[in-house]
Amino acid sequence: MAELNETIHQPVRLRIMAALMTLEAGSEVDFATLRTLLQVTDGNLGAHLRKLEEAGYIAVNKTFVERKPRTFVAVTTEGRKVFQEHVSALESILKNR
Amino acid sequence: MNVTPTEAEEALMAIQTMAQKTRKSIASGGTYITLIVTGIVWLVGFLCTQFLPTGIVGYIWGGLSIVGTIVGIVLGSRMGTRLRSPSTIPMIRRVGFFWLLLVFFALAVIAVARPADGKQATTLVILFIMLGQMAMGLLFSFSTIWWTIPITALALIGYFLFSDIFYLWMAILGGGGMIVLGLYIRFRW
Repeated sequence: MAELNETIHQPVRLRIMAALMTLEAGSEVDFATLRTLLQVTDGNLGAHLRKLEEAGYIAVNKTFVERKPRTFVAVTTEGRKVFQEHVSALESILKNR
Repeated sequence: MNVTPTEAEEALMAIQTMAQKTRKSIASGGTYITLIVTGIVWLVGFLCTQFLPTGIVGYIWGGLSIVGTIVGIVLGSRMGTRLRSPSTIPMIRRVGFFWLLLVFFALAVIAVARPADGKQATTLVILFIMLGQMAMGLLFSFSTIWWTIPITALALIGYFLFSDIFYLWMAILGGGGMIVLGLYIRFRW
């Protein structure tokens, strides 16, 4: 049976994962775009990304684009699996009420 | 970990909303740039066609097309850096090849049909551009193709019913409409 994931269930992290899961596998989105989508502050987003990265659910790639530092974020294979399990667990709670 | 059915429902709703917002944001990124740049080119170009002598209009359209293409590519590539995907480069090649073929087909149709006047040729070009945009919309995001329908309808209405002011019609309603729509997508969508 699918299990709920405490790390992912936090509202901002849930939305981060939902946004990243929408992208094609292997795609990465930049930090500023993610911040605009989620409407959170730099610090808040950074803290939640760190938690997800530590759990191995996302990969953070710091690079340079046109000589400017840019941070790109992508969901890992493990992150996809755990998120799908979390969604299944939420759906089963609704079915069994 | 305990989650009530209400909390589960709220979480699923949040996931769905975020997924929709992300898809919309990715799709609208290129759409509003295309609309604003094309809108400005059409507004200026068609106004000049309506009011200036035929001799210099060709040069104006040539200049506008080059500037519009360069601005579109520069802004589009900047927007493209928001998202990096393994399929981006092959997709850009396919899209470029598609537009090249479409230009070839448009020129072939114009050469075969031999339009009687500038208005007929212009309407044919508009129809081909809208066909290309519709194909792009079907390829990338269905939500970005709807605007091609009213623009095509405007071109046909202008051509058949308001022939005397066709260029002015296309400048204000076609070009102006695209600019307004582009700004709406950028700031309100």
